[in-house]
This record gives sequence, structure tokens and C-alpha cells, in this order.
Amino acid sequence: MAAVTSPARRVTNRIAIVAVLIITLIFLAPIYWIASTAFKPRALATSVPPTVLFQPEVTPFVKLFTKRVQLRKPVEPEVYDAAPWWEKAIYDGGERVLRVGDSVQLSPYPDRFLNSLIVAVTSTFLAVAMGTLTAYGFSRFRIAGENDLLFFILSTRMLPPVVVAIPMFLMYRVVGMTDTHLGLIILYTAFNLSFSVWLMKGFMDEIPKEYEEAALVDGYTRMQAFFKIVLPEATTGIAATAVFSFIIAWNEYAFALIMTNRRAQTAPPFIPAQVGSGLTDWTVIAAGTFLFLLPVAIFTFALRGHLLRGVTFGAIRK
Amino acid sequence: MLKKKWTALLAGAAMAFTVNAAAATELTIFWAEWDPANYLQELVNEYTAETGVTVTVETTPWSDFQTKAFTEFNAKGDAYDMVVGDSQWLGAGSTGGHYVDLTDFFNEHKLAEVMAPATVKYYAEYDGKYWAIPAEGDAAGWAYRKDWFEDPKEMEAFKAKYGYDLGVPEDYKQLRDIAEFFYRPDDKKYGIAIYTDNSYDAMAMGIESAVFSYGGDLGDYSTYKVDGIINSPENIAAVEMYKELYGFTPPNWGKVFFQEDNQAITENLAAMSMNFFAFFPALDNPALNPNAANTGYFANPKGPSGAQHAALGGQGISIVSYSQNKEEAMKFLEWFIRDDVQQKWADLGGYTCSQAVLKSEAFRNATPYNEAFYQSMFMVKDFWAVPEYAELLTAMNNRLYPYVVGGEGTAKEALDGLAADWNATFKKYGRM
Amino acid sequence: MAVIARLESDTRAAARGWSDLTIRNIFILPTLAFLIVFNIFPLIYSLGYSFTDFRASVNDPVNFVGLQNYRELLNDPNIWRNFTVTAQYVIVSVGGQVIVGFGLALLLNRKIPFKGLITTLLLLPMMMSMAVVGLFWKLLYDPSWGIINYALGLGSFDWLSDPDVALYAVAITDIWMWAPFVMLLSLAGLSAVPQHLYEAAAIDRAGTWYTFTRITLPLVAPILIIAIIFRTMEAFKSFDLPFIMSGQPTTEMISIRLYKMAFQEWQTGRSSALAYIVLIVVLAITNIYVKYLNKVKER
Repeated sequence: MAAVTSPARRVTNRIAIVAVLIITLIFLAPIYWIASTAFKPRALATSVPPTVLFQPEVTPFVKLFTKRVQLRKPVEPEVYDAAPWWEKAIYDGGERVLRVGDSVQLSPYPDRFLNSLIVAVTSTFLAVAMGTLTAYGFSRFRIAGENDLLFFILSTRMLPPVVVAIPMFLMYRVVGMTDTHLGLIILYTAFNLSFSVWLMKGFMDEIPKEYEEAALVDGYTRMQAFFKIVLPEATTGIAATAVFSFIIAWNEYAFALIMTNRRAQTAPPFIPAQVGSGLTDWTVIAAGTFLFLLPVAIFTFALRGHLLRGVTFGAIRK
Repeated sequence: MLKKKWTALLAGAAMAFTVNAAAATELTIFWAEWDPANYLQELVNEYTAETGVTVTVETTPWSDFQTKAFTEFNAKGDAYDMVVGDSQWLGAGSTGGHYVDLTDFFNEHKLAEVMAPATVKYYAEYDGKYWAIPAEGDAAGWAYRKDWFEDPKEMEAFKAKYGYDLGVPEDYKQLRDIAEFFYRPDDKKYGIAIYTDNSYDAMAMGIESAVFSYGGDLGDYSTYKVDGIINSPENIAAVEMYKELYGFTPPNWGKVFFQEDNQAITENLAAMSMNFFAFFPALDNPALNPNAANTGYFANPKGPSGAQHAALGGQGISIVSYSQNKEEAMKFLEWFIRDDVQQKWADLGGYTCSQAVLKSEAFRNATPYNEAFYQSMFMVKDFWAVPEYAELLTAMNNRLYPYVVGGEGTAKEALDGLAADWNATFKKYGRM
Repeated sequence: MAVIARLESDTRAAARGWSDLTIRNIFILPTLAFLIVFNIFPLIYSLGYSFTDFRASVNDPVNFVGLQNYRELLNDPNIWRNFTVTAQYVIVSVGGQVIVGFGLALLLNRKIPFKGLITTLLLLPMMMSMAVVGLFWKLLYDPSWGIINYALGLGSFDWLSDPDVALYAVAITDIWMWAPFVMLLSLAGLSAVPQHLYEAAAIDRAGTWYTFTRITLPLVAPILIIAIIFRTMEAFKSFDLPFIMSGQPTTEMISIRLYKMAFQEWQTGRSSALAYIVLIVVLAITNIYVKYLNKVKER
């Protein structure tokens, strides 16, 4: 494209750049709004007109991690003065932190977050690992009814989660697997597996067969050739598949809503549940959302090179 | 490098298989997300201090409280030892085998005399047995802006327009007039905030309040007859009124429940706002409601015939029959019904159902809204408590929501349709 | 399985280590078995229930009712409305995503400072939980204190309560989340268009429109179709966004209806039947798509 530099072209280019910047800002505005709400004093979250500049505070995060109750009468001055800064902030908001004995009662948020990590990481790993192997199998070996099988694998992904949830719920209750991490891991793995097979098949088809054949001639076994030659070549594809699978498992809502309760519930059904007791406290929801976005954003940014390249060939060749 | 990562992931996987070990001296109570649940957590922390048994109150938003509870029940899960369940659940909870029969416990402690009559009838009893201990009384009521109502200019203008004094509405007609009077979209001021959320029972409870005060009923709870009752002229008038009130609500009021209705007061949107009493603490808290000093409360007004009722909220506490800790839970309930604990429960902000506490001056004056609450608790009526109540609720939402919010059809059509739906449901379950 | 028997084994590598046959089976069979156990078996399990009046919430005896569930569902105008709403949503939402996403890709497909950073930043919306996004967009859409009406000067325009607008409001949120996905795939497609074609067009003094319709579009079509397939499937399944954002009958998609029937009303038998109806519709749509895709790929 560098070759073409007519004046008209340059003008269009400038317009395009400006347009891109504007659209990017529009797209990022809601995210900025969520992030900024996470640091706002509660009253400013719904102020009219909307507040853009304010003194940021971390009170929403303190609230996110503690169990609280509304003050029914003003707190005694000596108690207030003796309180640490974060507890003062809670008092200022008309609430009080709950305690058992001397220890502050934590909210379930850390637990839910940990559940999300366990379930999303494990299921992503399983889906990508199994998907990679299966994709290799489909790519390299002759299989009767290959297209039908691939279609079958893809079709399992198209069902709305609720369709699958009904029988899975009935089966899980027989074996006592509702509200367990394992139950959720299995569901997410099944969910992502088809996607992962399809994406990885595109990458595997791209890797020239000759590479392994040369290795086989050199005395490698097929397994050695797979692990030492094919897998390194497929890194980009694996990374891209992992990013997509992780995003999906990390954010899944419907299965988690139906299948989990106290023990295995993940964060996505939990965060909207923190609407607060008499009035919606948007700052706490925003704080929970903001923290929850961090791991997936970091993961994606770390692998972004693979993601952009990965999508290029995985998708084209499929 | 890659190997290390894989080991870490496998460790994560292994962990996932082992985290389900539960300690014995822990009780979990399931409830919805609202202030009373926080008060209960505070109360049970004292039980922990006394006995060493940790009690946790787990909450979920109202919109999926029912679903979460029943998926857990129907999975025969033991995540929760006790549940503070809605009154409508008694039928499903008892016939489904989810609740432990507490009849003996109830009689032994003479709870039918200790607790207020309406709470025993609606929160505890189903089919001649007791399945729950009345825990949190509640009823639908109203908050209003005293400063708007008492502004001399407004009072004068109101009198000139409607011919009577502006004040706490005596009946639904006055409620409507006041709502209309304060409806000024150009000033971003609106008349009234009512429930319209159709994801669970919010809208149904709002409509129910009007229906009961209009002298109507949802059906005959003993014979399951609904035709001619749910679509009676009284009910049609009540539903028409509800729709009219919807016309005086703030914009975007089509899926709202308690948070939004409270917000209508705190954000200066509406003159009056419907809510269950247990949601009012936020309005009395100056840190949350800048208008706390100017907020008043009243009980659900009368209908045209002078009847006065309110929709019942509130819940009883039941033991889940799949719990591993039923005996511990029983011990907890024995503690919970102790007079001193009930008094403490009320002091912390809970709406005790204990008659002695309810009737005390101290309780009635404890908050600006307790008196209205106290009055309401003697005129409450409730929704169906049959096992298939959820289907009845869905039908009600499906029939009435498009009329009230979407403006489709007429109230009569909607209610006739609802009568037909309910009839079909009862027929399906062989109730008639 | 029949597949195994019909493999022609590759004897060259079989001499050392595992045979290709073994490897193929080890690589493929676990996945197939997993998907069968956790996708197909449950469906067979619920197929049986779809002919009964089973309710998972009560201990009543289960009665065989034949095709009654199916008959009643197919005669229920509400169910048809759920399907119509779903179709409407799919068209609006996927259409919007393609226009915005492809448009963005066209704009980005040139030398732009910080292009990599911008592209990655644009992916942020799709990394978020739809449930939380839905909740926040309710705040953004609020006519009294939301920033959308404030920024656009719409006064108290009603996004989510107006039955005629709600579906579009939800779709806009979906477009915001997923247009970047279409953009990502389109960028991949655009970058694969051989540069010399454009140069040739420039020499021929071909107009921009001509270049676009005759060179760009046909070459990007296959990947765009893949994007559309993925997004259609996801939009058809939509549950989180409309469930959290709006309770309008005009936004009650089939997933939501199914959820209510199964897990709120506990009509387990009937909801299994509805799940089967959905399943058949989904398989039909998928089949059409895949055939079409194969055709495009052959060209």
C-alpha cells in the first residue's frame, strides 16, 4: 500500500485515521465509564449531569471485599475516630462492616473469583489440549465420514446452553454433581472443545506434512514428531484458541447461573447479584467488574500477537 | 517453561477435584439480597459467638432467588441448610419434599400463639402442617416526599385543581390524583413509582396490592375457582388503575423493582413510591438518601369500596431436607425463636413476627415506617401457595405485563386470558 | 466404532513406537467419547422426557403423554413469537456487527499509527462478561442519569421500557460487544488480499467502488461468512444480555422462554420438547450455512 501516495489518497487516509480514532473512543467510552465508576464516590455514580472529573477513591473495592450492613443510627464519634481509614470510609457511606468476634467478615467475592479461575483455567487447558490432538488426528489421518464427524463436533457448539442444561441438570442431580467445580469444568470443556477442534484443524492443515515426514525418516516416532515438530509450529494457533476459549469460559453466565450455588459459583452470575440492598450501588458492581476484567485482558494482551496472526490463518483456511 | 505452565494447570485441575470438603460446624442460610439478610447475618454472628457454630447468610438477587433456590432443591443439593423462602414456595417446598416438617417443633414451642396470626397462616402453614418458622414479616407500603406534599404552593394548587387537601392519600383515587398532580416531565419530576419487573413476583405484588384493596381476590384458594374472581369487575378496575398509575411514572420504568423505586425518592424523581417495608431502611439513611428527613411513609390506601389490604411480603425460615446438618439447624431454630433473640432481631432491624415484640411501643416507634408496617401486617393477603405457583406467576406476568407496560389490549381481555390460563393450569394438575 | 475398523494403517511409522492407528485413536476417540457422553447422551436422555409430563420439582409419577407437548408447543402463538423475536434479533444484531465490524476493518486496513494497540483495545468489549455488560448498559441507557442520552442530547428517550425500542437497544449493546470480533476476522481477510490486484486496478484507473465490489469483497467473502456464521450461532443462543437488560415480551428470545419453562416453572417434560424443537431449528440453520460455506470455499 505504501507505493500509492497520490494526494487524494493521502486525504482519504487522514480522514480514515480520524474516523478510526473517533470510533475507538466511542467503543472505549463504556469501558472507561465502568472503570471510572469503580473509583467514584457512591453518589456520583448516578449524578445528573454525569460526573467525569472527580477525586478517585478505593472505597468501592473495600466494599467489594467486605460484608456490610446499613447504619440504623449514626455511629458514636469515639468508635468512628478509632476506626482505620477504610472503615471510616464505610461509615461515611452510611454502613458498618460486619465482624465475627474481632475478624472482619469477607464478602464471597474472593471465593467466586477463585472459582472462576479454577474452572476457566482447567477447562481451557482441557479443551485446547484435547482439541489440538483431535485436530491433528483429523488433519493427518484418513477417517471414514470425516466431514460428518466434523459437522457433528461443530453442531454440539450451536445448542443454546439452556438446551444442554436441562438434561445435564437431570444427570448431574443423579450423580450429585450440581454445584461442583468438576461439573462446571466438564460443561465448559465440552462447550469449548468443538470450537477448539475446528480452529486447530485450520492450523494443523497449514503445517506442511513434509516436516513430520522428514522427522519420521530421521528416526523419530510419530509421537516424537508430533511433540517436537508439530506442536511448536502450532504455537500461534494454540495461543489464539486458548485466548478465545478462556474468554468464553471466564465469562460464561447461563450454565453457572443454573448449575452452581454456594460452592462452585463463578463470578459472572455473582457480580450482578451485588446490586446492594435498598439501592443499587453501582460503584461496587463496577469495582467487581473491573477486577474481573483484568485477568482476561492481561491474558489477551500478552498473547495479542498470536491472536491477530492466529485468526488470520486459522479462519482463512477452515 | 511450557512444562512448568502445564504442571501449574494440572495442579489447578487437581485442586478442582478436592475443594469440596465441608466442615461440620457450619450452617448456611439462603436468602435474597436485601437489608434484612444483612441484619440476619449480624444476628447469627451472635449465635456463632455463643456456640462456635459458624452461620453464613448467602444471598442472591430477588430476580433469581426463586430459580436458585429451586434448582438447588430439585437437584437435592445440600449447599444450604436453611432457606428463608417466600410464602408462595410452601406448597412446592412441602409437597416436593424439600422442606423438613416442623409441625412438632411448632406445637412444642406454641409458635402459633407466639407469632402474629397472618405470619403463621402465610409463612408457615400449608395443608394443615407447619413447614417454616415465621422469620421476617413484610408488606407492601409506600414512601412519599413530605416536603413536596407540605409545600404551601403545591397545596394551594392541588386544592384548586382537585377540590380537597393534598395529604397522605386515603384511597386509590387520591393516590392517582396526587400522582397526576406531580407528574411534570418537563421539570423531570414524576408522580409515582410502582413495581413493573416481570422477572419474578415484583409486578404481581404491586398489582395484587391494588386488587386486594379494590375488594378483589386472585381466586378461591380452597376450591381453585378463578373464573369470575380474577377477572371480576373489581379486579378489572384495579388493573386499569395500575396501568393508569404507570402513566405517571418516571421514564424507563418498565422493568423496575425495589432499587429503582427507592431511587425515585433519593434522586428526586417521584412524589410517591411503592415498596416493601423491608426495603425502606435505605430511605431512612441520610448517607444514602439526601431526602431522608423529608421522606414519609404510609400503608397501602383503600379501594373505592373502603376495603384496605396490602400484598404480603416476608418469609419464614425452613430447614432444607437435603441438608447434612439438620440437627444443628434445629438447634439454631430453637435459639432463633427465643424471646430475647427475637427482640434482638427487631433491634437490629429485622421485622420480627413475634406478637409481643411487634405490639410494643418501642418497636412501633423504632423507625419512621414501623407504624405503617405494623398496621399493614394486619391487613395483608397473599398470592397462591400451590406447588405450581410459578406457572401461575408466569401466566400473570405474560398476561398483564403487555397491558400495563406495553399498552396492548384491555384490562378485561388480559384478565379473562389470565383466568383461562390459570384454569388450564389447575386442570392440568387435577385440582378441579 | 465403525471408524476404527476402516482405517488403512500407515505401516511406515508403525514399526517404531505406537502405530498410526493407535495414535489416531488416542487423539480422536477421547474427544468423540467426551462429546458423546456430555452432549449426545444427555440429549437422548431428555428425548425420552419430552414425551412425558415429568416435572423435576415434584415426586409425582411420570406419565407418558405422547406428542402432546410438541403439539401444544407448536400451537402456542407465544412460542412462535419467541422464535420471531429471536430471528429479528439475529438479523439486527449480526447485521449491525457486520456493518460496523467490516467498516472498521476497512478503515484500519491501512498505515495507521498505533494500529496494533488500537486493534487490541477495540477487542476489550468482547472480553467482558455479557451479564455484567448488560447490567452496565442499563445504567448507560438510563433516561434520568445515563450518559448515552446525556451525550446524544436525547432527553428522556426511553430505551429499554418501550417495547418497540427494547430489542434494538439490546442489539446495540451486542453490536458494541461483538463488532470487534467481525473486525478482527475481516482484518485477517483483508490483509490476505494480494496487493498487486489493487495496483493493477489503480493502473486501470478503476473507481473506489469498483475496486471494492470487484476485488475486496469477493476475496474477503469466505472469511466474512465464517464471521457471520459464528455470530449468528451466538446471537441465536442469546440469553444473558436480553435476560438481564429487558423483561419485554418483545425481547423474550427462545432461550429465555426455555429457561423460564425449565428452571422457573419446572415443566421439565415440556421444556425438553421445546429444547428439541430448538435443536432441530439450529441443526437446520447450521446445515444450510455449512453447505453455503463449502460452496464459497470451492469457488
